[in-house]
Amino acid sequence: MSDAAAHALDHHEPVTSTGIPNKKVLMWAFLGSDCMFFGTLISTHLIYRKISATVGGNFLDIRDVFDIELTSFSTFILLASSLFMALAVSAIHKGNLSSTRWMLLGTIIFGAIFLTCQVYEFTHFVYAPGNELTLSSYRGEPHVFGSTFYVLTGTHGTHVAIGVFWLLGWFVYSFTGRMSTAHAIDIECCGLYWHFVDIVWIIIFPVVYLMEYAF
Amino acid sequence: MSGHSEDPVAEESQRFFTFFNLSMVLVAITGLEIVIIYVQSFEGSTIIGVLFATSILKFIGVVWWFMHLRWDKILNTVLFLMGLVIALGTFFAVIFMADEHPVVEEFKVTKIEDDWKSGTDYKSGDFVAVDDKFYQASADHTADKNWSKDMWNEVSGIPHLISWKISTADLIEINSKRPENPFYYQYNPAQQDGIVGNRVAILDEEGKTEDFRIKVRSEAFWVENN
Repeated sequence: MSDAAAHALDHHEPVTSTGIPNKKVLMWAFLGSDCMFFGTLISTHLIYRKISATVGGNFLDIRDVFDIELTSFSTFILLASSLFMALAVSAIHKGNLSSTRWMLLGTIIFGAIFLTCQVYEFTHFVYAPGNELTLSSYRGEPHVFGSTFYVLTGTHGTHVAIGVFWLLGWFVYSFTGRMSTAHAIDIECCGLYWHFVDIVWIIIFPVVYLMEYAF
Repeated sequence: MSGHSEDPVAEESQRFFTFFNLSMVLVAITGLEIVIIYVQSFEGSTIIGVLFATSILKFIGVVWWFMHLRWDKILNTVLFLMGLVIALGTFFAVIFMADEHPVVEEFKVTKIEDDWKSGTDYKSGDFVAVDDKFYQASADHTADKNWSKDMWNEVSGIPHLISWKISTADLIEINSKRPENPFYYQYNPAQQDGIVGNRVAILDEEGKTEDFRIKVRSEAFWVENN
């Protein structure tokens, strides 16, 4: 039996005939389906990037708009938040509620910083003087890049926001005195979701941002 | 996957180092990705290859250790892979649908150095070389016995003929790789298949084919000679 399952059993978590807690199976099935969701969004962005490579007769160079330093910073922040999340899961399994609380808070703060960067980035893009990138245009010319870009990165941002609120719920709950190792599987599921958001960004960052600088 | 530990709490404590080390590796790989972009000394295809490889490494690192698949039952991995495989299948199907890469079948840059000859029929725009200088015909005419500048305009540079043959393209871009001998030309061909074209360029210095780059695009695919 694996450790995680053993922990779950220790915490009296109902398991399926597979020996894996129901909540965990559900979360993995959900993450599998979410892969398909993001797969279509990333494919859509890339295919339209290919077939709509010009704007107003010129090659679309989105680097004039992108702020790669800011995006790199927020990428590091999201990666760091994953470490906090992993440590929060580890702490709750060990029954260390104080550490769990601090690690949850760290994840929440880093998630919030990532979201703040994204909001700043979107605002900066939409109002960039001379380089306005809106949902339907770039520099005043009709173009599809904004649509696929904002929908893809915005959907990811929404996932991050949901994760932050979910973590915030557990953080607040930890002060009620009712939190125990019995909730380890809940924190673990929350962690799986958070790490998934992280791996989606691991794909989005090079595919959507860095590849623009490759040519 | 791994066996059941005798002391789960001790094992959780050991995982701290795994998580910390992994986190540092992820940060280092991301830093490498950014440095490669900043350095700009690699080919586009090389950069994409590196980004692809590093993303896969980071992806596996997070899924395998942070998400505990390393220690979990195989069913979780299968559940996740089912979605991932379908997503990847969709991705590659869409990306390579109707894929037609343009091919630069011929690209040549040659100096126009035809010497002026008496009795030859010249058309307006033709170039000739006389005493290391280059001239362009201002009108159609037949050359006299002796050289005269009457029907010719001296050009301030060296005329070159740039010619190309491309399988398919909707945008063609030609530029000089040498800043001291600048040249840039871009156009959208009227016919997008079997393109044959040429252009005369007056250059500051003598140029060779290797000194020029032609980039052609069909739909989204950019192809260039080097």
